[in-house]
Amino acid sequence: MNAHLPILEIKNLSKSYGAVKAVNDVSMHINRGEIAGLIGPNGSGKSTFFDCSTGLARPDTGKVVLDGQDITGWSLNRIAREGRMLRSFQKTVTFKALDVEENLIIAGQMFTFPTLASTFGLGKLSRSRIAALRERARELIKMAGLWDVRHQPAGNLSGGQQKLIQFASMLMPEPKLILLDEPMAGINPKIIERVVDTIQYANKSLGVSFLVIEHNIDVVTSICQRVVVLDQGAKLVEGLPHDIIQDQRVREAYLGG
Amino acid sequence: MFSTLLEQVVNGIVTGSVYAIVAVGMTMIFGVLRAINFAHGEYYMLGTFGAWFATDYLGLSYEASIVVGVLSTVVVAYVVGQLVMRRMVGAPAESGVLATLGVALILQNTVIFVFGGGYKFFSGGYIEPVSILGFTLAEQRIIILVVCLLVFVGLELMVTYSRLGMAMRAVSQNVECCGVVGIDVPQVVLRTFVLGAALAALSGVLTAPVNVSVYGGMGELITFKTLPIIIMGGLGNVRGTFVAAMILGIAESLVATYIGLQYRDTVGFATLILMLMWRPHGLFSTQARF
Amino acid sequence: MSLTDTAPQARRRDLRIPLAAILVVAALAAPFIGTRYVTHSLIIALIFMLPAHGLNLLVGYTGLLSLAQAAFFGIGAYTAGLLAVHYDTPFYVNLLAAGLVSGLLALPLGIPALRLRATSFVMCTLGFVIIGQAIAKNWISVTRGDMGLSGIPKPYFELGPLSFTVTGTTSFYYLALAVAALGTLAAWAIVRSPAGRNMVAIRENETLAESLGVPTWRYKLIVFMISAAFAGVGGSLYAHYLTVVSPLTFQMYYSTTMLIIVLGGGAGMISGTVFGSLLFVGLTEALRVAPEVRMIAYGFCLLVLVFWFKKGFAPLINRFWNAIGGSK
Ligand SMILES: Nc1ncnc2c1ncn2[C@@H]1O[C@H](COP(=O)(O)OP(=O)(O)OP(=O)(O)O)[C@@H](O)[C@H]1O
Ligand SMILES: [Mg+2]
Repeated sequence: MNAHLPILEIKNLSKSYGAVKAVNDVSMHINRGEIAGLIGPNGSGKSTFFDCSTGLARPDTGKVVLDGQDITGWSLNRIAREGRMLRSFQKTVTFKALDVEENLIIAGQMFTFPTLASTFGLGKLSRSRIAALRERARELIKMAGLWDVRHQPAGNLSGGQQKLIQFASMLMPEPKLILLDEPMAGINPKIIERVVDTIQYANKSLGVSFLVIEHNIDVVTSICQRVVVLDQGAKLVEGLPHDIIQDQRVREAYLGG
Repeated sequence: MFSTLLEQVVNGIVTGSVYAIVAVGMTMIFGVLRAINFAHGEYYMLGTFGAWFATDYLGLSYEASIVVGVLSTVVVAYVVGQLVMRRMVGAPAESGVLATLGVALILQNTVIFVFGGGYKFFSGGYIEPVSILGFTLAEQRIIILVVCLLVFVGLELMVTYSRLGMAMRAVSQNVECCGVVGIDVPQVVLRTFVLGAALAALSGVLTAPVNVSVYGGMGELITFKTLPIIIMGGLGNVRGTFVAAMILGIAESLVATYIGLQYRDTVGFATLILMLMWRPHGLFSTQARF
Repeated sequence: MSLTDTAPQARRRDLRIPLAAILVVAALAAPFIGTRYVTHSLIIALIFMLPAHGLNLLVGYTGLLSLAQAAFFGIGAYTAGLLAVHYDTPFYVNLLAAGLVSGLLALPLGIPALRLRATSFVMCTLGFVIIGQAIAKNWISVTRGDMGLSGIPKPYFELGPLSFTVTGTTSFYYLALAVAALGTLAAWAIVRSPAGRNMVAIRENETLAESLGVPTWRYKLIVFMISAAFAGVGGSLYAHYLTVVSPLTFQMYYSTTMLIIVLGGGAGMISGTVFGSLLFVGLTEALRVAPEVRMIAYGFCLLVLVFWFKKGFAPLINRFWNAIGGSK
């Protein structure tokens, strides 16, 4: 693939729910290796934009190009599996009844087992693949600081810890691009630091690109190289974090709600 | 030719009315409990048995037997409601299926155990034919039609204006919030359930003179008839249930006449499956409850 | 642990292997211990174990509550019965054909059904049973209607030069035991495979599983087909055991019995289904003295199950299994 092409390019995306234009003709791109931010007041269409880009919702119009490949209309699972673009959800979700390690192994499986039929195997190959996944899961669990709770059901852990599980799960399959929907919401400052560290580690060492929705402006300015602002479904401005927080229109959008 | 068709449609509407009165209770219970009541037809059976017992053993009149049938069912439903239905609030779907099946087995087999499994003859009711607008219809069928209309008008009024009706709407909209605003959810479930059971019993008593035969297994058949109706009507939707019941009643009547009697009892599920393929979310909104 | 690792402190013995050995011996010796009627009850339990395993994959592992199992059980029974009656095929051919026909029919039925959610799905699957019964009743040229298929031969085998027929109750017991054991093994292999983990992921949170690359739709369809194939195999045993198949094979009561086995034994646990089959079918079959009283008792059992044993017997089995596992 061409290194200079953006990893993700979205053109003229629109989505309406009834009379509400949740996303209105938004175009944006994410450069390879970049951490980009997506901000905007509540209800400005950020999550809907994610849903439409990742196949969870079907956009009314628009085009999504991932790594040079048109993925518009692909399903959520296909985009994750074949496109290696993963996303988190605003409301923290983990497999609550399963332990932390299992959570991560599930996340890795679909990439180690290329076909559906191969997942039904119990042979040596299958077992060695699972062993490798377990190995990788343990590394990530250590990095996320969840080692001591790795055999506990995810549902027993705190919201912040579950966010870390969710994030670590997304790193399992060696993704190209991760979309995070408010990864810092509702977690304590200590874990915020840990999430920030992990994002930066994944970005630098594993070469993962990011698009992050975040209301915490400090976090946005410290990790994002570029920020896109949505307001009432439409793109308001785009630019460097420091320029954005100075921007009059952005201030008005947030205050004028 | 045309007159048979019309006659069958009218017959279908009468059958539909019977189903509607049973199904509306079931759909209201679903609305507040989010569980399918597999025992619902058994209350229809209990009502019929109560009335049969009153006329056959006690020698009461048909009118009195209606009261006996419905009241005895209310008593049973109250006990079942207290012991079982109340406790199903918030339980997973599987639990609902198993618990109500358990109730169905207990009720049905207790009746068979006490009264025997054979067919009984129901002798009360108004079976004299009368002619209206060129149709010949048994009086009892006219009674069923009228009662069905009264029941639905009454329910509309109750749901809109009475305290129980408002509580029912609240519970069906959002169970979590009800606790906060002080609505006693299990109590609403209990009352809705007893009301639904009473309606099923009423339907049974009214139909008994037309069906003539009374037997322990009759409730199961009614349950199977009402299940597709409440899904087609949009679970928890009273008006939708009425329309779906009429559609099914008429469809059954036409199928029995023009295709074959043996296919009659399959019409409900066949229609349901076809409808679900066409519109997976039902014909009527499940949002507009009650 | 190495051989030299002999800890000085007193260790409790691991009793699991001896227990397993006892269970195997008991299973093999059962026809000689109990009466003929006990053997008969065990055969019915083993037959129902197969559709129950299939249902457990669907309900217990993938989280799809289905009542269609009796339909596929019936399809399997009719397939095996028709083959045996008309073509006199050996038992294993009928068994495979029954599994195959049920499994394949589950594809066109599953595609529309699995698009439905929750209650609609349950009702649609129940509809399959009701419509299956209507077809069995009315497609008289093939099924002989209400009379049903009778005179289905006892299972016969043809392995090279060797051919024999399973005639007695005792020998049928071993046949059913072998098929049920293979079925249990197959179910176990499926849930232990990576696919089993994906099924659990779908049960726990479908959208999350989807977002992690699990093609949930295809899994649901495949598990639906597998569960139907299990039911079909069970149906073929049923046909050969009773030697008659009637439209009553398609009845909701069978579907619910299978559901009770799975939920009562402990959903999402293979041993739970094995245990559940023996308990809920074997026991009730053995108590078939006064049908009404039995059904009333059965109804109360269901209520007890729902309100006091929410997870079935699985937690008990687990605790027992761990308790006898010795100290680590
Ligand atoms: N499934 C849906 N059905 C109907 N309306 C929806 C749906 N999803 C989103 N909307 C509407 O679309 C608009 C945008 O919502 P969205 O969740 O995308 O905003 P957001 O920017 O993520 O807000 P927040 O910061 O609160 O998470 C809102 O008006 C919302 O009500
Ligand atoms: Mg959002």
